[in-house]
Amino acid sequence: MNRIRLVVNGREREIEVEACKLLVHAVREDVGLTGTHVGCLTGDCGACTVLVDGASVKSCSVLAVQADGAEITTIEGVAGDDELHPVQRAFWDEFGFQCGYCLPGMLLTARELLDRMPDPDDDAIVQAINGNLCRCTGYGSILRSIRCAATRMAASGEPAEEAS
Amino acid sequence: MTVTTSGKAGVRAIGSPVRKADGPALLTGRGRFLDDYSLPGTRHAVVVRSELAHARIVDVDVRAAAASPGVVLVLTGEEAAAHAGPIPHFIEPAARGGRHADVRCLATGKVVYAGEPVAAVVAGTRREAEAAAALVRVEYERLPHVLDADAALEQDAPRLYEEWPDNVILHNHYGTGDVDAALAGADLVVSDTIRISRTTTAPIEPRGYLASWDDLDGTLTVYGSLQNPHQLRWMLATSLGLDETAIRVITARVGGSFGLKMQGHPEETLVCLLSKLTGAPVKWIEDRRECFMAGAREQVHRFTIGAMRDGRIVAVRDRIVANTGAVSAQAGWAMPNMSATTLASGYTVPNVRAELHVVVTNKPPLNAARGFGKDSAHFVMERMVDLVARGLGADPAEVRRKNFIPPDRFPYRTATGLNIDSGDYPGLLDKALRVLDYDALRLRQAELRAAGRHLGIGLAFELTPESADGPGSFVSGFDVTTVRMTMTGGVTVYTGVTSPGGGNDTGIAQIVSDELGVPLSWITVVQGDTERCPSGFGNFSGRSMVVGGGSAALAARDVRAKLAVVGARMLDVPVDEVKVADGRLRATGDGRSVPVPEVAAAVLTRAFAIANDVEPVLEATRAYKPGNIDHVPDERGRIQPYPTYSNCLHAAVVEVDPETGVTKLVDFVMAHDCGVIINPALVEGQAHGAIVMGLGAALSERLTYDADGRLTSDRFKTYLMPRAGDLPTIRLEHQVTPSPFTMYGNKGAGEAGVGGAQAAVANAVEDALAPFGVTVREVPLSPPAVLALIDEARTR
Repeated sequence: MNRIRLVVNGREREIEVEACKLLVHAVREDVGLTGTHVGCLTGDCGACTVLVDGASVKSCSVLAVQADGAEITTIEGVAGDDELHPVQRAFWDEFGFQCGYCLPGMLLTARELLDRMPDPDDDAIVQAINGNLCRCTGYGSILRSIRCAATRMAASGEPAEEAS
Repeated sequence: MTVTTSGKAGVRAIGSPVRKADGPALLTGRGRFLDDYSLPGTRHAVVVRSELAHARIVDVDVRAAAASPGVVLVLTGEEAAAHAGPIPHFIEPAARGGRHADVRCLATGKVVYAGEPVAAVVAGTRREAEAAAALVRVEYERLPHVLDADAALEQDAPRLYEEWPDNVILHNHYGTGDVDAALAGADLVVSDTIRISRTTTAPIEPRGYLASWDDLDGTLTVYGSLQNPHQLRWMLATSLGLDETAIRVITARVGGSFGLKMQGHPEETLVCLLSKLTGAPVKWIEDRRECFMAGAREQVHRFTIGAMRDGRIVAVRDRIVANTGAVSAQAGWAMPNMSATTLASGYTVPNVRAELHVVVTNKPPLNAARGFGKDSAHFVMERMVDLVARGLGADPAEVRRKNFIPPDRFPYRTATGLNIDSGDYPGLLDKALRVLDYDALRLRQAELRAAGRHLGIGLAFELTPESADGPGSFVSGFDVTTVRMTMTGGVTVYTGVTSPGGGNDTGIAQIVSDELGVPLSWITVVQGDTERCPSGFGNFSGRSMVVGGGSAALAARDVRAKLAVVGARMLDVPVDEVKVADGRLRATGDGRSVPVPEVAAAVLTRAFAIANDVEPVLEATRAYKPGNIDHVPDERGRIQPYPTYSNCLHAAVVEVDPETGVTKLVDFVMAHDCGVIINPALVEGQAHGAIVMGLGAALSERLTYDADGRLTSDRFKTYLMPRAGDLPTIRLEHQVTPSPFTMYGNKGAGEAGVGGAQAAVANAVEDALAPFGVTVREVPLSPPAVLALIDEARTR
């Protein structure tokens, strides 16, 4: 067993994991945050996407021990204390999800995109989520949601990382 | 967190794009899917599956597996058979004139497909169970196998079920009229063969179950990612020999389903049995490879169509061979039945004859899938219409217009017996062509063609019979809802329909809000629990808003009527002079009002005073049965299992690169008519999802097997579902032709798109490659398939 330290959604966690444990399983089982979903375990669907030190990562393709010392953001950490993040609100308003299973990956990918590119064009949005599969929406409403979030965040003048 | 789901005061909820009620939970990671449930002491199961497509099981050696660390139980088929009987079929083939085969949770005697469960391991962790499963040694005696349906029809083909005389689970004839005479008199006769490849539903969340047997009181609680909790309870009671009342089935939040999670899967009975045998809660989560085993469709159509010079189609003959794989207790085998029945779609073809062979092979079973066979009918019918247009040198849009059932001829009985409720198909065509700017697009196509570029335009009509009822089965055309108001005015709606993610819970809340006259924020919808919800039938066949919504409306009206009696007394006006809206009960005369919670409190706390002689129950349970379902066979033996028929017209614009074979989707338009819309945003979401599923089947999705019948497309890297970058902006146009046979005139949404999108793209690719003279006979139109089409045309 290996003892690792993670800062998950701003809270320091120390967990013991087997060397072969995937980050997604550590987040779900050892940290106890089940909002991150397993869809394929082959790095293809993106449902397990989390932010590791601010970068979107498919957490099924990383060992937990590789993330030792990292800051992790999961879907549970996207909202502020008492209100949804603009990206979350936009996904709700624009029907950017149906069953919600791919949603953690979509939200965190969108959040990372807007953190580094506050005014992405359509190509950049498509490119950002091209690694995330959704079987319900056909993607149109997801693209609309991200565009809507970008527009609102620009209008409110808040940089993305402070909007939460 | 402050969240509201309510619309604005005074605005009718029905017809509004109300946001999904589960938004706050799902957006913050609090949606509880099956793998998120955890009971104390939960053990984990892994299924050992056959590696051979057809073989006798000689021996299952579990000794090494049983001795593996953490292992609690290793169960073989023989042992399972001592504790559990066959799984009853969702739709019993024998009751439909077909052949029965027993299906068990673990194979006994022999296996009939690669992937069939042969043993199960239960261990403390999933990893321990996986490690032990690899140690189970199964000795097989290999039998000859057959994967192709035509080959399985041969006299000397290997037989899957020795008690059957052949490999045909269902053989049937459909339709009426004199096809031979009509073809003999036709100006144009086209015959060809069309193949529809095997695809799958592939929701992002695979299946999963968590069963907990309570040894003390002999009860079983099952959590599952599933669509039909009450049917599953019946199925488990039958296979496990328990009383239905001893079983509680709870539907977790479902991460997409598309038919996959209708019941009948072996693991449902298996996981429950494992819990019973180990005395511990047992969880099984399907992995992605296992999920890819479920087939959605695989058919071959050998057709002949006849038309007159003016474009009128006079006859269709179709010989359908459907490959259903091995028999499962799920409903997949029945889908091709609807492929035959849905011919000739929304066209006035007087002579239609279809012959259907549903054939078992050593592929994994078909499972119910969005479209339920209707999709394949449209793919073939719309290809046929285009081939007629091509043969006549006519515009495909005009050939469709010529043959559409005219709007003034509804209800219209088709040659196969469907009684289509209503529609305006020329109206849909007009809308689609206008949005497309069809004439200008044809000019543009000609310009590009002159410049050596290959733009193609494909049209496809799609008729979607919805909200089915199958007599004597649990495919039910009605459902049941309870509306209950608390003393403080809070409303809980318990309904028999379930939501795999599309949002019908929100739609039902909208209906209750309007019918009861209270804000949406007061309403909670509870679904998918056999202990809490009335006995109903869950989700399939676009039924949830038709019958879930209809029954919720009736129940809400009953509760409102009681509020009105007591509220009118409180305002001292006659009962027909009050209205309930926005959470207040108002006198229509002078506008005085009283809050609904005060009226509710009066009913429940002043039952012997102001509510005297009113039965003090603020609760109603009602069933809703739509019209137009008729199971009495007509003089030609035809029944009518659908109340209502959604319809739409698809237009795909593609550009094909003949050098690479790559088809680029340039534009896609769907003009859609599902009658009155309860929530336009949710309907559009369903339509987009179904279209994109159809686009995947048209261009890239295909389940593949090696010569031994083992699945080779077992991950998203080899089974190519559309990604965001593969798609154009899909444009939707609504047309509303109310159904005369449902509560609000709504028709059911969610299935339309799968078949039409495939057909529109296939027609567009053929149109794009018209200079080469190709004929599209198969999907998916992957780049190699397109190149092969061009090569074939060049060498002809």
